[in-house]
Amino acid sequence: MSFTESEERQALRKAVAELGRKYGHEYTLKAARSGGHTTELWNEAGELGYLGVSVPEEFGGGGGGIGDLAAVCEELGATGTGLLQMVVSPAICATIIARFGTPEQKSRWLPGFADGTLRMAFAITEPDAGSNAHRLTTTARRVGDGWVLNGRKVYISCVDESQSVMVVGRTEDAKTGKLKPALFVVPTDAPGFEFQRIEMDVIAPDSQFQVFIDDVHLPAEALVGSEDAALMQLFAGLNPERIMASAYAVGMGRFALDKAVEYAKTRTVWKEPIGAHQAVAHPLAKAKVELELAKLMTQKAAALYDSGDDMAAGEAANMAKYAAGEAVVNAVDAAVQTHGGNGLASEYGLGALVAASRLTRIAPVSREMILNFVAQFSLGLPKSY
Amino acid sequence: MPNIVVLVKQVPDTYSERRLSDSDHTLDRDSADAVLDEINERAVEEALLIKEAQGGEVTVLSVGPDRATEAIRKALSMGADKAVHVSDPALHGSCVIQTSKVIAAAVGKVDGVDLVIAGNEATDGRSGAVPAILAELLGYPQLTHARKVVIEGTTIKVTRETDEGLTHLEASLPAVVSVGEKINEPRYPSFKGIMAAKKKPVETLTVADLGIDAGEVGLASATSTVVEAAPKPPRAAGQKVEDEGDGGAKIAEYLVGQKLI
Ligand SMILES: Cc1cc2nc3c(=O)[nH]c(=O)nc-3n(C[C@H](O)[C@H](O)[C@H](O)COP(=O)(O)OP(=O)(O)OC[C@H]3O[C@@H](n4cnc5c(N)ncnc54)[C@H](O)[C@@H]3O)c2cc1C
Repeated sequence: MSFTESEERQALRKAVAELGRKYGHEYTLKAARSGGHTTELWNEAGELGYLGVSVPEEFGGGGGGIGDLAAVCEELGATGTGLLQMVVSPAICATIIARFGTPEQKSRWLPGFADGTLRMAFAITEPDAGSNAHRLTTTARRVGDGWVLNGRKVYISCVDESQSVMVVGRTEDAKTGKLKPALFVVPTDAPGFEFQRIEMDVIAPDSQFQVFIDDVHLPAEALVGSEDAALMQLFAGLNPERIMASAYAVGMGRFALDKAVEYAKTRTVWKEPIGAHQAVAHPLAKAKVELELAKLMTQKAAALYDSGDDMAAGEAANMAKYAAGEAVVNAVDAAVQTHGGNGLASEYGLGALVAASRLTRIAPVSREMILNFVAQFSLGLPKSY
Repeated sequence: MPNIVVLVKQVPDTYSERRLSDSDHTLDRDSADAVLDEINERAVEEALLIKEAQGGEVTVLSVGPDRATEAIRKALSMGADKAVHVSDPALHGSCVIQTSKVIAAAVGKVDGVDLVIAGNEATDGRSGAVPAILAELLGYPQLTHARKVVIEGTTIKVTRETDEGLTHLEASLPAVVSVGEKINEPRYPSFKGIMAAKKKPVETLTVADLGIDAGEVGLASATSTVVEAAPKPPRAAGQKVEDEGDGGAKIAEYLVGQKLI
């Protein structure tokens, strides 16, 4: 077992951090506050191959693993320029297509994931089916060779920045008549597909959308992979999602902590800089410990996933997501407190992270649902729902 | 198809606190993060631009301790083809002349060199003398402060930029060019570049491999030594100008006093 990342992974982290520093938190904040996007950063990271590190080489990707992609996500976050859609487009969508797509689907979509020119949103959450995915009602009917899709989705990130959305729906099992999950790639300009921005109190350069799918006609090849393996496909995509959400959170936490440490070293109210007071230092030290632990668990989950052990990766990825969600909330809280009044001043940009840092506790899977998973799966406790 | 050698140096990151060691006033390499010097990134970028336009080969050359491999890898991940790394404990504390002799000998190990590209000066030592000494030792013409480099056959043309203005230089190859800050914007290594860097050849040499006696290099026989060093004094509090309607005049007075206007 090694706790040191490969030379290449370390070099990748450095290179990505340099790119992130070139843009800087100011850039992201400015985009966020003006309702804009951080498209230039996405495009440049894509051109450099950073968004396609885990896409197979034969499709123009880097041929690395989810651990490499998570490193990219974390390092951008640590410079205050985190890219939320990394959690979705290259991690969930590209992974599912690379693992389960038909040869045509792979050659059609993977090159775009490799250089970031293709952005795909992912839609599972519905107004009446958030934590409980068994209640999904988005349904596909077979019509001729193709499909007709109907449903509603909420809180779908970055739909406006994406060419298509991978939609989790259901199809009727021909034999039993029961509904089972199925994944469809739906172009965002398909007739009958509409989306509306949800006003959020999160200051971030990406928006969330409500999606209306009304009689959207799709060709047969819009169905990803095999109709019968959708559940497995879904799980294969959700582990990378959790790993990436953890990396995103750890990155943001590192960014907040770095700012706090810098401030605590220089701000002097009495004789010594405020960092000398343990009441200031200890929460920062605690944040450091929690972030390191969350990062370590993220690396473990990624290593397991990349080794092909989906089951073990699932448990680790959930635990990492839990740990990272808590760590980033605490780190941002400590950073704001360290800054006193400045912690909430726009100039320092930390107030903007207060709501953003809560995101990882809620999405893509809530803290409570992770604890449910650990209680049942890891501890074998009985279920309440 | 020019065969280019780029000199690269690992230096303490300018963002971190840089110190000299207490014992012999040489650079305390452990006190700061080490990075590929930014001016060298520009030198590498220029070499890669020439290669992309005209073909050829780019070799990076570094004289420095073992950990300079990180700087070398960075240059290779940007796209250089191979590297020569001169690493020898005997080099500790070498002066610019000793260092240049070692570099000249190492350049000699690369076949058919057409062009040596260096940065104007490193951000740590800042003597800015190595490219000139090297040109002298190699017997090559030297073109300094380049902000634009053009190669046409066996001729090199350089736009030289200094505080005095622009000068247009021309020389025949082989030559030594030292580049300034404005020459280009260095690229970030792509992920593929990073993955490929590890497989690129790095030839590691000692001073003995270069036919140089260990006694000729290092602090003991250096032509210059640091006699004394003091940390930079902490920044003093600024002077506050109260504006009682005459703030502008007071500021002008201050600037005149400092001979700034
Ligand atoms: C900024 C943002 C971006 C998002 N992006 C996307 C996206 O791109 N694509 C997408 O599909 N979705 C996205 N989501 C949706 C997100 O995945 C859901 O919000 C999340 O899964 C929770 O679902 P819910 O909001 O319906 O909460 P609910 O399921 O209504 O849960 C409400 C609360 O009850 C708790 N709870 C529910 N069931 C239980 C239980 N059995 N035991 C204990 N507690 C329980 C939950 O933990 C939560 O605290 C995003 C959400 C946000 C906020």
